Amino acid sequence: MESENQPRGEAEGVKIHDPPSESSIPAADTLATSLSLLGNHMFPEHANPVEINDNTIVNKEAPAESVLSDAPAGEQSLDAEPQVNQVKELETEESGIFECQNSMYTQPAGGVTEEADMSNGQDDSGEFVVTMLARGKLEEQGVGVKGRSSPLLETGTLEAPAFLSHRDEDVTAESWRQHRKHVFVLSEAGKPIYSRYGSEEALSSTMGVMMALVSFVQSGDNIIRSVYSEEHTVVFLQKGPLVLVCVSSSRQSEQQLRGELLYVYYQIISMLTQASIARIFEHKKNYDLRRLLAGSEKILDGLLNLVDSDPSFLLAAVHCLPLASSLRDSLSQILQKAITPNLVFSILIAKNQLLTIVQEKTVIEDARLEPADVHLLLNLIGASSAFQAGEIWTPICLPLFNPDCYFYAYISYLDPPECTVCLLLLSTDKEAFYAVAECKRRIEEAMVAQNSLSLIAKAQSYSVSQVGVSDLRHFMYKPFDVPDNYRQLTQFTSPEMEAPYSSEEEKMRLLDLYRYMHSRIHSTSRPLKLIYHVAERETLLAWVTSKFELYTCFSPLVTKACAITAITKLLRWIKKEEDRLFIRYPPKYSTTPNPSKSSRGGKSDQQDSTDNGFLSLL
Amino acid sequence: MPEGSKMKKPDVKVVILGDMNVGKTSLLHRYTERKFKDTISTVGGAFYLKQWGPYNISIWDTAGREQFHGLGSMYCRGAAAVILTYDVTNWQSLAELEERFLSLTDTANHDCIYAIVGNKADLTDPKAQLPQDSDRVSEDRAECEEETGSQVLSTCPTPPASPASLSGVMVHKQVGHEDAMALYGRILRYKGLEENGSLPAEKMCFETSAKTGYNVDILFETLFDLVLPSILRKRNENQQSPTVDLEDCRGGNNKRGKTACC
Repeated sequence: MESENQPRGEAEGVKIHDPPSESSIPAADTLATSLSLLGNHMFPEHANPVEINDNTIVNKEAPAESVLSDAPAGEQSLDAEPQVNQVKELETEESGIFECQNSMYTQPAGGVTEEADMSNGQDDSGEFVVTMLARGKLEEQGVGVKGRSSPLLETGTLEAPAFLSHRDEDVTAESWRQHRKHVFVLSEAGKPIYSRYGSEEALSSTMGVMMALVSFVQSGDNIIRSVYSEEHTVVFLQKGPLVLVCVSSSRQSEQQLRGELLYVYYQIISMLTQASIARIFEHKKNYDLRRLLAGSEKILDGLLNLVDSDPSFLLAAVHCLPLASSLRDSLSQILQKAITPNLVFSILIAKNQLLTIVQEKTVIEDARLEPADVHLLLNLIGASSAFQAGEIWTPICLPLFNPDCYFYAYISYLDPPECTVCLLLLSTDKEAFYAVAECKRRIEEAMVAQNSLSLIAKAQSYSVSQVGVSDLRHFMYKPFDVPDNYRQLTQFTSPEMEAPYSSEEEKMRLLDLYRYMHSRIHSTSRPLKLIYHVAERETLLAWVTSKFELYTCFSPLVTKACAITAITKLLRWIKKEEDRLFIRYPPKYSTTPNPSKSSRGGKSDQQDSTDNGFLSLL
Repeated sequence: MPEGSKMKKPDVKVVILGDMNVGKTSLLHRYTERKFKDTISTVGGAFYLKQWGPYNISIWDTAGREQFHGLGSMYCRGAAAVILTYDVTNWQSLAELEERFLSLTDTANHDCIYAIVGNKADLTDPKAQLPQDSDRVSEDRAECEEETGSQVLSTCPTPPASPASLSGVMVHKQVGHEDAMALYGRILRYKGLEENGSLPAEKMCFETSAKTGYNVDILFETLFDLVLPSILRKRNENQQSPTVDLEDCRGGNNKRGKTACC
């Protein structure tokens, strides 16, 4: 079902709001040329640029005051035929979709035979059937992402975890083009900053074309948002002096892809801060930011792999390790006692999941730690483990907390050589390493006294079978602010992915289904509250209320009534277990600012905007 | 890790500086863990505590990336020894030492010792491909010989007289020992030190290989021996301080106290 549905939502058909029409003819020419240039590189199977234009939908957003909707002109100049609309009609699969918007009613998009196909797609029905058949065949082969019949697809779609460095990849090779999701970061001057696959140098011309597209659309007081082709979605995101581009065949919604680009942007900010980046480019428009990011590519690579494989990013919530609430409380107390001036967050992590998080009172009074910041921290830890005995001290910015300032992070493993339990202490004082390291000593001591480490070692994620609902295979449950964790970290809970979702391919397939459900629920044009979706090999039900967001996956033969009963049971089970599944009452501490430490006093302590010093190089 | 023991107070601070990818983390890893493995780019700096006889030596393994440049002077504050590392196959990495890293050492102790280390010698120097041994590192030697020995057997059918075949190709050596020694001289001048009053360049310029272990132990142990006077002096100073250190009474090795140094 994730096969042909991408241009749905806000991207129905060709959506071009062109600038005043006198510029539109020559302008469109340039745009078409740029597109075909980009196309030649990204989608070489369409050797003929005209064909690319045929299949390409450019989706731009005009600033409200300058909207001069001129869609026909746009279509003309782009050679876009009505046929492009066909793509959107292929959204549904052999499986039926039953959707509800507030109350349950059947939506025309259900099944291949519904009216939706008649209304627009009739002239293409022959092609439509062929596509469906081809897709069906692919699905039989168990290909996670459908939509094209290249034999290279299988190798291209799955991210082999062992193959970590893509830097040396040949960017002219077919295999490079087959990657499921490309991400590029460039500066406004068109200088390459990052590419997920292949070296930036080799891609500088491609990135130049991307920048040409961006600035071309910009010159007409417009913003380019996305380009759709049959197999790829190209999403643009402009943040300050940086341009981020995603080229995806994953069939995710534009919104989701843009969210992922935003994570990439935040990760860059977390290393350099927004203020520094702005200053750097103010000074020198064509600065090569890779100078400062050199060595950080792995952190970005790691982030993108996580984004693909960890639903935390999709849900914008953190996943904590289930733990008896008494144990979690005792760990929190240990952290709460080991404090030093300017310490603001103490975070304990096991197996890359949160155990507990304790925070300074005044800092968090009117701001909370955002899940995205926690994700970035977890990714940093995952991508930067020095060898075991070392204690790391590094500046890090939490972009959602404050994009312009650094925290100083102390990172140390408590259980070498296994290195599963990690302590992360964040201070606002650059010089506080020794004081913070002493906190770790005290935490370590207390944990030894309470035998915490061996208790943590026993903690693990749970099996869906513990819920005791026979047809339920997997679920993700994200509660919204409830009174007792009001303004706390948004969390979600989810069991292990077990058979039939134990292989990497199947995991990815399930995640793709969830992503699809998520995109329907959060569609900007037509958000849904409840979706019952019968997929080929499973049945999914997604439900969002004011209290929670829930995604469930059932065996394929479950009936609607069964699923509803199962969800009632599941919700009851979660309620019963919530003390174990979530961090319920994150404790706080108060570190009295030490006036002798620095001239900064009181509240401004948290806003330590110490320059990292590299600007002096400019 | 100390099992909940009282924190060992570092007596002296050693800092490893150098451009990224020259092998700073690998050098330290080779020395402390006796292994060579793939490392990932260090973020910020990593702190290690090394027991050296009765002394605790803190070692800061810093990130070579320009991104973390601003933290450099903080890591160097009060350092008794600085290891300036370059890559023998990369001329720029030596130049960077002078351009970027030397100024960071302004916060180091005035009597700070400087060592200049050319890593990755195994890529250019046949004698660095087999572990050079001193008596002290006999276990290491055995281990290394096992590793490299088997490699040699599998990759070159002829006697390992030309260890170049170990890695297939010899990389062109871009930085000679003399270049490093010349840099050492310039560093002394930068610091305003007399050449004859300081440690000689021959002694303070090393070529190492973290991969084979060549010269790694010698490097660290030479430095540790050289910083001993600095440790003792510091302990003396602390002894003269008016504060009573209760740990004094317990410490069996010396009557002098161990107070935080940095």
